[in-house]
Amino acid sequence: MAVLEVRGLEVRYPRASAPALRGIDLSLDRERLVVVGANGSGKTTLVRTVLGLVRPSAGWVRFDGRDVRTISGETGVSTNLAEVYRLISLPVRDLVEIVARLKGGDPAELEARLREFELGEVLGRRLFELSTGEQKIVGDLFAVSFGPRLVLLDEPFDNVDFSRRRRFVRLIRELRADLLLNTHELELIAQLDGWRLALMFEGRFLGPFAAADLDRLYLTRGTRADALAVMETSLGTFSVTRDSGDRPVKSATSLNALVESLA
Amino acid sequence: MNLWRPYTKAMLANGSLWFWAFAFMAFWLAVGAFVESSGVGPGRSAVVAYTTSWYAVIVLLSLSMLAVAIANSLTYGSSALAYAFRFSRLTPEGYFGSIVGGSAVMGAALSFVLLGATAGMFGGRFRLLLLPADPAGLLAVSLLGGVFFMALAVTMILLVINYLGLKSTNFTGFLPLVLSITLGNAQIYLALPSWFVYGSPFNDLASLLYQGYAGTPATVELGAASVALTWEYLVVGILVWTAVLGASSLVLLRQIRSRQLEEGRQI
Repeated sequence: MAVLEVRGLEVRYPRASAPALRGIDLSLDRERLVVVGANGSGKTTLVRTVLGLVRPSAGWVRFDGRDVRTISGETGVSTNLAEVYRLISLPVRDLVEIVARLKGGDPAELEARLREFELGEVLGRRLFELSTGEQKIVGDLFAVSFGPRLVLLDEPFDNVDFSRRRRFVRLIRELRADLLLNTHELELIAQLDGWRLALMFEGRFLGPFAAADLDRLYLTRGTRADALAVMETSLGTFSVTRDSGDRPVKSATSLNALVESLA
Repeated sequence: MNLWRPYTKAMLANGSLWFWAFAFMAFWLAVGAFVESSGVGPGRSAVVAYTTSWYAVIVLLSLSMLAVAIANSLTYGSSALAYAFRFSRLTPEGYFGSIVGGSAVMGAALSFVLLGATAGMFGGRFRLLLLPADPAGLLAVSLLGGVFFMALAVTMILLVINYLGLKSTNFTGFLPLVLSITLGNAQIYLALPSWFVYGSPFNDLASLLYQGYAGTPATVELGAASVALTWEYLVVGILVWTAVLGASSLVLLRQIRSRQLEEGRQI
């Protein structure tokens, strides 16, 4: 049984002209998946829906076969979304203590990690008193602490300085947990050996591919016979191919820019 | 799993709570003692009745301010709670018990410092020693009041979070305060029937606070006669309301929806 299983997930926000997620299928079982997509492609909505923070209009999410709508006490799942750590207005030191108790862990583990990332000083401040980058890396470290089995990381490198990014990549590579990591930063994917890669565009999932193959993936207008995946978008139909095609995926600053350049 | 200690610590260390639920209320006590007291008296019993009525209404207001302020924090933590109930050891019962326990302690602390302020100001004004007749009873009523107001405020704010949307938060937040002012003063200035007082949790609390301070039962006017209220009925009234609202809070807490704070902006 997969640790995380998602089937036919669809989310429609009120007043939005198009769904934020369209028929997402996903399964994680002792593996790691990096989801690449531009801002607005649906990556954060995917994480929030998987965690039960957004109600899907169709489809379901299960952890070890248990529906997310009714699950309780599952301490093995964690995330870096800052909003889930805003339980109480106390300094980070107290928050570390509280989250450790709630997750059944040792606060010393997270305090040591914060110091390792030269963030010992944030312990005396409240979450809202931290800079955007500090909030992000503190959320990242909350997510990977207390022995999680499944970690959902939403844009973990946003506003984080280069040295801490490198250290965090090293940390998640060594982590013994399934991971789903959202990012729009293609250059970091080269460091994720052995990970699967999915592209996300207009709320749709494309893939999975091997993250190591990113340099070999191309996007081509139309449907190609040798396509690894085909996506229907509001701008037309596009094929993802290996080793040849209209434009290398890696060459784009974002997937949106790539699709728009071919449309 | 509960978070009673950190929530109690957060409340007791909250300067804004102390300002609005104590200092601001002490200002109104000063108004009662020194500005509006010219027609009181003569005699100790009239002074005690006047002082105790002010104390009871001010404690109601203070507790409702505390409860609304704490319950409003749920709008900031809706995602955190929706997540924690699924992916941590925190349960809706543990969370509710924590904030109710914390607010009962804070409510008792507020009630006692307001008691000191009342005895000091009204005693000074009337040159009488105005100590409470039953401090232990007052403590029990204050704890119960803290629990009742928290259950009421949490139920209301969860109805907003789960069904109405955060735009309604600013308006529903006033309701416990408005009800406290209206019903607390109605008991002083109007001849409320006893069934109404027993059935109204605000008046149950005000009457019990009165009895704890004055040492004599609160009364209602019945025609030309004055009828003493039975404290056992008052306790049953407030307990039933607290139980019903507590159960509602738990049901709503189990279904809490994650909301984005920006939803609450009016313009």
